[in-house]
Amino acid sequence: MASRNPNPHGDPGLQPERTALAWGRTMLALVTASAFFLRWLPVYGFPILMLFAVSAGAALAIYLTQRSRYRARAHGLAGESIEADLPAVLWTAFAGVALGGLGIAVVLTG
Amino acid sequence: MTNSEQPTPATAPPPRGKIAQLLLPGGEEPDPRFTLANERTFLAWIRTSLALLAGGIAIEAFTSGLFLEPVRKGLAVLLLLLGMMLSSGAAVRWVRVERSMRNKAPLPLPLLVPLVAGAGALAAAVVVVFILLR
Repeated sequence: MASRNPNPHGDPGLQPERTALAWGRTMLALVTASAFFLRWLPVYGFPILMLFAVSAGAALAIYLTQRSRYRARAHGLAGESIEADLPAVLWTAFAGVALGGLGIAVVLTG
Repeated sequence: MTNSEQPTPATAPPPRGKIAQLLLPGGEEPDPRFTLANERTFLAWIRTSLALLAGGIAIEAFTSGLFLEPVRKGLAVLLLLLGMMLSSGAAVRWVRVERSMRNKAPLPLPLLVPLVAGAGALAAAVVVVFILLR
């Protein structure tokens, strides 16, 4: 495993680590939002579970891809070439838009 | 494997996906550190958006004894709309910054900043008017 080497990419700015931590913070924010949506289940009823599903699903997706993403970036930085992660950006933004749309539907119908 | 669109550099880059070629055409891969920095900025906007989305849901659920229903629903929808715009705007800005960096062009001005500032001021104004008229 590459993780035996404490600094596999040799970048003193630790860019892959900082980026992995940024994804981790975003994941925690999504988990917090999930818990928050569940907390309002008694007020909104069943529809709020859709928001819970989207935010918890997005958090899980980030969690499951953290390792491979970090490894690809650390490896890419060592070779001075990292491809922009367009799918991850689009999916994350889509989750945010879906949460907003579902939230508006829940607020207006509730 | 051939790469007919770009002059072949010393180390040929891996083939890019179709959506990536569509949204990030031309230019060349920027410094990987810049790509990662752009991604972190995008994630910071996404977290801001999540705070607004959670706030919108909370306003509607939490303030039923405080605000009249139209004010409450209006504020909640305003916050949720702003959260949606921030999420999509963060992706648009990420793409624009990535394009600029690929083409070594100046970075675009952040349209998100006046949007967030304006909407935040509007939400505050709604609350101020409501409190004054109460």
